[in-house]
Amino acid sequence: MPKMSMTMETGELLLFHVKVGDQVKSGDVLFEVMTDKIDMEVEAPADGVIETLVGNPGDVIEIGKPVLIMLTETEVMAFDFGGDAAAQVETAAPTPPPVAPAPVVVAPVAPTPPPVAPVVVAPVVQAVAPVVQAVAPVVTPAPIVAAPVVTPPKIVNTSVKAVPKARVEAANRGIDLRTVHPTGPDRTITFSDVNSAQVDPAVLKRQAANKALIAKGIEMTRGIAQASFNRRAHANFDHAQLISAWAKVLRGRPDIAVHQHVGVSLIIESKYGSALPVFRDPDLISVEELRTLVSSTSDAAKNGKVPIAMLSGGTTTIFDLTTYSMSSATPLLFPNQVTSLTIGYDSESTKNISLTIDLNICDFYDGALLLDALIASL
Amino acid sequence: MLTMAEAVREAMSIAFDERPEVFLLGEDVGIYGGAFGVSGDMYHRYGSERVLDTPIAELGIVGAAVGAALSGMRPIVEIQFSDFTAQAMDQIANQAAKIHFMLGGALHVPMVLRTPQGSGTGAAAQHSQNLEPWFASVPGLKVVVPSNPADAKGLLLAAIDDPNPVIFLEHKLLYKIPGRDPVPEGSERIPLGVAKVVREGKDLTIVATGIMVNKSYEVCEKLAAEGISVTLIDPRTISPLDMQPVYESVEKTGRLMVVQEGPAHAGFINEVIAQMAGSSSFGSLIAPIKRLAGMNIPIPYAPQLEKAAVPQIEDIEAAAREIVKNWR
Repeated sequence: MPKMSMTMETGELLLFHVKVGDQVKSGDVLFEVMTDKIDMEVEAPADGVIETLVGNPGDVIEIGKPVLIMLTETEVMAFDFGGDAAAQVETAAPTPPPVAPAPVVVAPVAPTPPPVAPVVVAPVVQAVAPVVQAVAPVVTPAPIVAAPVVTPPKIVNTSVKAVPKARVEAANRGIDLRTVHPTGPDRTITFSDVNSAQVDPAVLKRQAANKALIAKGIEMTRGIAQASFNRRAHANFDHAQLISAWAKVLRGRPDIAVHQHVGVSLIIESKYGSALPVFRDPDLISVEELRTLVSSTSDAAKNGKVPIAMLSGGTTTIFDLTTYSMSSATPLLFPNQVTSLTIGYDSESTKNISLTIDLNICDFYDGALLLDALIASL
Repeated sequence: MLTMAEAVREAMSIAFDERPEVFLLGEDVGIYGGAFGVSGDMYHRYGSERVLDTPIAELGIVGAAVGAALSGMRPIVEIQFSDFTAQAMDQIANQAAKIHFMLGGALHVPMVLRTPQGSGTGAAAQHSQNLEPWFASVPGLKVVVPSNPADAKGLLLAAIDDPNPVIFLEHKLLYKIPGRDPVPEGSERIPLGVAKVVREGKDLTIVATGIMVNKSYEVCEKLAAEGISVTLIDPRTISPLDMQPVYESVEKTGRLMVVQEGPAHAGFINEVIAQMAGSSSFGSLIAPIKRLAGMNIPIPYAPQLEKAAVPQIEDIEAAAREIVKNWR
């Protein structure tokens, strides 16, 4: 029940405009409410399917209490903004697992799809997980997709000289001056150069996404240029699956994973204190092998005996807070690490995954893409 | 229409009539009527008590004026050529400018030092300098550089009223020229520290001092006929300096050119550039700031070289065209 005026405490449900199973679009009228002041139509905040009507016409409902439950397709963060990039995460056709090779191979015309079984992206809806299967139409099977690398804008001008107003204008319009062709004396960018500059739509999209994601209230940690994103995921994964999937996502973004290898540190608590064994390139071995390694390393750490080779080389860190029944925390990034994951408790069937990124290396949009790709592949 | 020499004489005469403590002293200001004829007949009108011919001793002249000012008089000193103020610099920079501050504000020095400056008369290196940066860099002095008879009259009256020492720098070539605007008949003052927007345009802002205001004005008229409109600003007082109209204009035009006759190196006009570069209007610039100033050489005697050593109308015109054409 939305709060529609300063003094409103309850609203009377007049009638529903939808029934269970209806597909609705963002902006469609869901139901009407009467308050002491006005009658109001309440609109769908997103696209989705009506799952349950909680209230009945005539009920007086407190503000903040549910009137109906709606399933949205996903919570993919970058979806609204990413265009091609996010669409790839969202709706890529299922890639069939490789079949036995044909006896005669003619020149292949397409790259071989990765030998990975498709994983179903479960729509994430709090506390209504059992119903998920019933609304099959919104379940989109998707392959594991590494976050796509966004093509950087074309650089035409490496040493940027620009008149002051050109700089002001470029900053206002979100134009990278390195992409502007200079026509002024000594290859200086003039005001009219910026004025007539064509802005790359991909760059504009990224800027819009960043603006919107910042506005979403993503937490900034004081004193250090980092930001954290939260998304809910189903709880059916173990450390080996998580480590493997995360390493795979990072390997798809060499521009963000700035090191030669991917080294995933996993914090393990023991009576000797915290240990941070590093799993080097864990996505290059099978999940079964990795699971054995994680288990043996975990046992060793609990006895205070992490192998020396596993004590260095971390490029990203995973904190699992579920053992403390914590839902989230914002870690400080280790120097030289661009990302860090925190796994928190959310419900019986869901976990909270929080990604912290170094804003010196990547931006909000990158972070949203990384987290979306990870959750799509879990 | 009064010339600048006549306007300055009129301002002094008004001050003489208004205040008995005003008097004029300098070399040949009396019977001869001044090296450039500025004091004219004042000796005959006001007598030798108020128009004093002095020996050729600049340090003594200024020292006498500082002492008189400290005792309640309002002396106007004329130094024949501004180059000769070098002789009097201790009295100007160390005494006149400082006494008020050294004595905790107990006394002040209401003195005006008028002196002709500038090139164009074939008077060579020791009689042609523009020394305004010397004075502008001494806190405690006010410095006025009038560009036309009407301003010269109002500014000189304000300078005589002012309780501080004021250096009043008159360009020799302007003495015999009437202004574009008639000189007001009354005794209206023009406050020190208020710049004048001479004309308004949208393509370029020119800040010019002294005789360069006149040269720039001619350029503005010529360019206006071609559709290039220029804002011309005359600071009039360079200490204190009024930058506000410059900021406001540059925010409209995006282009700034500054013009002075004196040498470019460490010249006064650089102060305008420095203040612009440090201001919030900096972001409005669509062109590098253009400076036109004299060459860093003593003014030559040969007429062609003397002309080439300082900005001429053609130089200002070419530079204005170039900045507007190249930076859009």
